Amino acid sequence: MATNSDGARNTKYVTMISGDGFEFVVLREACLLSPTIKGMLRGSFSEAKTGRCVFPEITGPVLEKVVEYLYYYHKNVNVPYVPDMEIPVELCLVLLEAADYFQLDKQMT
Amino acid sequence: MENINHPTALADEPTLPFLPPPTRFAVPPKNAGRKRIRGLKPPAYSLSSSSDPAVFSSDDDPALDNYIHGRRKKRYVGTWYDQHPASSDSADSAMGDDMRPPLLKPRPQRQFKRQFDSGVWMQADISTDADENMELDPSISRLPISHSAPLRPRYSEEEASAQQIVQSCIDVGREEVDLSALQLCSIPNAILELISLIVPIPTVAKDVAFEQRDPDIKLFLSNNFLRQFPSAIINIEHLTVLSLRGNRLTELPPAIASLKNLETLNIAQNKLRSLPGELLSLMKAGSKLTDVQLHPNPFYQPRVPNYCPSGMEEYERGTFGPKGDADMCESWHGFTTTLLARTPVQFSYHSTVVSRFEFPTATSLPAHLRKLDLEELWFLEIPKVIRKTIGPLLDEPRASTPKGAPPLFEMALRAAARYPDRESTKCMLGERGVPRHFTPAFERAAHIFDMGSQTCCVCGRDTIMPLTEWVEFREVQRTHVVVMGQTENWYSTRVSNNGDEHCVPFVRKGCSWSCIPFKASEPSEDLELVPEV
Repeated sequence: MATNSDGARNTKYVTMISGDGFEFVVLREACLLSPTIKGMLRGSFSEAKTGRCVFPEITGPVLEKVVEYLYYYHKNVNVPYVPDMEIPVELCLVLLEAADYFQLDKQMT
Repeated sequence: MENINHPTALADEPTLPFLPPPTRFAVPPKNAGRKRIRGLKPPAYSLSSSSDPAVFSSDDDPALDNYIHGRRKKRYVGTWYDQHPASSDSADSAMGDDMRPPLLKPRPQRQFKRQFDSGVWMQADISTDADENMELDPSISRLPISHSAPLRPRYSEEEASAQQIVQSCIDVGREEVDLSALQLCSIPNAILELISLIVPIPTVAKDVAFEQRDPDIKLFLSNNFLRQFPSAIINIEHLTVLSLRGNRLTELPPAIASLKNLETLNIAQNKLRSLPGELLSLMKAGSKLTDVQLHPNPFYQPRVPNYCPSGMEEYERGTFGPKGDADMCESWHGFTTTLLARTPVQFSYHSTVVSRFEFPTATSLPAHLRKLDLEELWFLEIPKVIRKTIGPLLDEPRASTPKGAPPLFEMALRAAARYPDRESTKCMLGERGVPRHFTPAFERAAHIFDMGSQTCCVCGRDTIMPLTEWVEFREVQRTHVVVMGQTENWYSTRVSNNGDEHCVPFVRKGCSWSCIPFKASEPSEDLELVPEV
């Protein structure tokens, strides 16, 4: 993995870190769906330089589901009639907040 | 072997085997090598239970000697349940004295308790005193029986009579379910679900082949006080007649379009302000609906009464995709509609309306507030904020089939709406720190979920939080199609000539900001335009 700031900008993967220390290495392309992450990875923010985004308010299981969604979305772009992703009931309220935080709250297409 | 304590008076009597020494007297074993060693100490009360191994030493060694070595019969003292199983002599003595485990193990005092599966308590023929003295209170059971047994739903008097009617219809196979004028304020879904069980009894006549037919269910719920469309109705597949006349409905669910067999629909005299756009799928050539009563209802009216839009075809084709009007191969009569006008689009975000145009939300509206603005079909007002987001998408060709995944927020919302305990979900959403727009979004999602489903009118995706909404005013016509050879003749007549009943509002809902009406091309200059008021 590149360490200099220019290199990190163009890495294929981005590391997302939850508040309790879980790290998820996610395809940058998939991450950019979220305007929040897109903003973090832009400009001269430290996240843009290192390619590591820390989300202190979000716990591991929730971030895992968010990452699952990012890949689910990425995989199904332009696929008609996408099967639903499983969302456990106990996570649905925290996921509402997470979706709000990541601005994944409206149809983009 | 003489016992010195033996009374001499009995000496002349025939010899009997001597009684074993009562206790305490130790008798050394005779042939210690060969014979079993009895304990030097005779066992104290060996309190063993009857299920212990054999107590007769003859089982081990049939020699009679065993009986004269201070052996004594076991005696049981006290109640049966105080008997502790202890090691039996016969088993232990073989190991020798040293290895003999203590006969009386210290045991905790046995607690007297009722054991339900014990035969002692099961009404034996011979009951002991202890049994009779026991006061067994049958109401207090210690078995883990859950007391929260599912309660049968309690119906009100009106609902109970409705249930009786439905039940009698099932019993005799009658297909007309007449629940009218029962003063029902609501009707539980459980009752309406029973209607699907109605099976018609076929008429049996001479020389007529037995034929099974689909039921032809007619449901009359007229003249009640229903405020909400009973959502179970949409699951009655073979419903042909539905009358909801004279209720207090404010809304019909979009899922009503799934009643493909519906022939008669009466929704007059309600509080409907608009109809779902999905109902149009039942009002087109080829559908079975042949009789519709829509008026009177406090429907939205266009602000400009006689409006003649241009670009109608373009709008319909562009927004909803090419019309799949199948060629009629036989004569048909039913309903068709023609577009008269459309309102501007109401855009919402975070459950608040962001566009200038907004549907009135008050529950009861005087007639002049029910008039809605209109927008030219070639004009489309989009708020600046939204134009910024969807700008590039506007020029892209429309997707007629839903593509891509729904937003995460919507998926989580759907999962929350599916969860039955609504109250606790609402409580959690009302806590501090939760964004305020969550609660209205959840309430709306729960409502849509209860009403069946809502599909986006543009892309057809299932949605639970529509973001765009507009109304189409349409004229409903009764149409006859007569097919003669290769030619189709269409004859249309207006359903009503009354001015107020001319325009019927149909609500269209879109799932995203780009699911909006298609912008028809601007008409040429010489066409006179009707100005917006």
